[in-house]
Amino acid sequence: MAVAGVLLLNTLLRGMQHDMMNTAIDNLTGHIKVLRPGYLDDPGIERSFAAPADWQRDLDPEALEGWAARIRVPAVIMSERETRGIQLVGIDPEQESISFLRTAAFEGERLSGADDRRLVIGQRLADDLATLAARRLVLVTQGADGRTREAGFRIAGIYRAQMSLVESAFVFTGRDTLQDLLGTQAVTEISIRLVDESHEATTMEALATVFDDLDVKSWRQLEPQAATMVAFADTSIYIYFLIVMGALVFGLVNTLVTAVMERIRELGMLRALGMRPRSVVAQVVTESSLIMAVGVAIGIAIAGGVFTLVADGIDLTAFDDSLASFGMRPIFVPVAEATR
Amino acid sequence: MAKAAGTIAALVGFVAATSTAAVENPAEVTGWRLLEGALDLTRGVSSYTELTMTIHRPSWEREMAISAWTRGREDALIRFTAPPKSAGVATLKRGDRMWTYAPRIGREFSLPSSMMSQQWEGSDFSYNDLSRTDKYLRHYDVGIAHTEERGGHTIYTLELIPHDDAPVVWGKETLILRDDYVILAQTFYDQGLEPLKRMQTLEVGELGGRTIPITMRMSPVGEDDRWTEIRYLRADFEADVDDGLFTTFALRGGR
Repeated sequence: MAVAGVLLLNTLLRGMQHDMMNTAIDNLTGHIKVLRPGYLDDPGIERSFAAPADWQRDLDPEALEGWAARIRVPAVIMSERETRGIQLVGIDPEQESISFLRTAAFEGERLSGADDRRLVIGQRLADDLATLAARRLVLVTQGADGRTREAGFRIAGIYRAQMSLVESAFVFTGRDTLQDLLGTQAVTEISIRLVDESHEATTMEALATVFDDLDVKSWRQLEPQAATMVAFADTSIYIYFLIVMGALVFGLVNTLVTAVMERIRELGMLRALGMRPRSVVAQVVTESSLIMAVGVAIGIAIAGGVFTLVADGIDLTAFDDSLASFGMRPIFVPVAEATR
Repeated sequence: MAKAAGTIAALVGFVAATSTAAVENPAEVTGWRLLEGALDLTRGVSSYTELTMTIHRPSWEREMAISAWTRGREDALIRFTAPPKSAGVATLKRGDRMWTYAPRIGREFSLPSSMMSQQWEGSDFSYNDLSRTDKYLRHYDVGIAHTEERGGHTIYTLELIPHDDAPVVWGKETLILRDDYVILAQTFYDQGLEPLKRMQTLEVGELGGRTIPITMRMSPVGEDDRWTEIRYLRADFEADVDDGLFTTFALRGGR
């Protein structure tokens, strides 16, 4: 039982860890991001850059799952009834196969291209603003020249993200459209998603030579909270393991001692019949090892069984908001392999 | 623009009209002409007005006294003079930009765009209602939806439909305007064309030598117990207004 418990706990924690990492990467971060220095402290169009056309030439195409050049600025969005502060993101929908937009559920239409002059907003924001697809919203933001820009945009579609925080934070439009509005040709970020995290270091090096005056940051630097949580999950797995195993050891010793005490006369008889002490010990050890082996096998079987039962995830939607604050999805999926 | 013609007028006393400027040949009247006419009349005016603003809510009511100075159609300084709790609070508008001064913290600040659609000093007016100017006219298609004769005046109902890319949240605005450019009512609709808030002129009268709406009330539609009423007490449309008034120094109360 203890083994089953430890294994299950392990898969769940790994699942949680995996999830936090994927959420962090999916949320427009990617594994690596190229940014203008200072953008993170003070995001805005004045911290943008123009990417050379051939910036990918030094990268290993095998290692790249995809990349997206985006322009992301803080903005204020208004409906007839409400006003909210949001992140306005200009995207090329073709490139967004690397972010959560690929799998997000949609109501209405998706953006048709980088020149689409419509918005895609989250369900939560749509609720907050009391608006619907095909209605107009007014965006106010700061242009490249520092002056205020405002314009009305129609809503193409409304997306559903796994976290309502994302739904209320990100508003998407075509990248060309947003560049026109702000009066710039630049982008504020290039986000890169790798096939596997192991390519991270080499890719970052290659990028740092291309963008020598820009910051090249990994998701761990960009999402320090998520990264810390992942590391924390790692440590906690070991701590739980130690605690449970420690308790288990005392339990086992107790059982063993009892078994020996109860059979002290039988063992004495074996000794009297001329069995050597070493054999007696070997016998007891063999017996308990066998029992333990069977126990471990049963434990693994139970853990495996429960794991398959909940492999689709444990639905914690009721705690959506509090989980979201930890960067986790409301569905809890256990993962059998280690994250790193 | 509708807001400029309506609310700025209400607060700052811009839309003042004289009967001599009334539209003479109704057959040639277009919505644009009516709106522009109303604005042209007031171009270049400097004014000083005193008014009261009453904010009414289901459980309380509050009356405030305001002095307002304007220069041209772009600049205005609005200062609360009573009650003591509000006295000294002032709002300065120059062109597109607005500042507000809070005596309690002793500093003025430029209003960020995120605040522009919020309520102005707890009233039913938003900062946007105060700040919009006639250049917003270009964001609308204006048409005359209805014309009628009443009490010796021709009453026009203008329909203002914002363009698709206009920075306007409303689905539609209607403006009821007399042929001497006195605005009688203005209604803001959401994009489902449900009316959301409405401003009505409760009293038209002579003040400062002009016929203007004396009392106007802004109220969210369907909430009869919430309204903000503005009432002109004194108006001088040829006041000699010092340019030094339209500075952040004057905003603080320095003269």
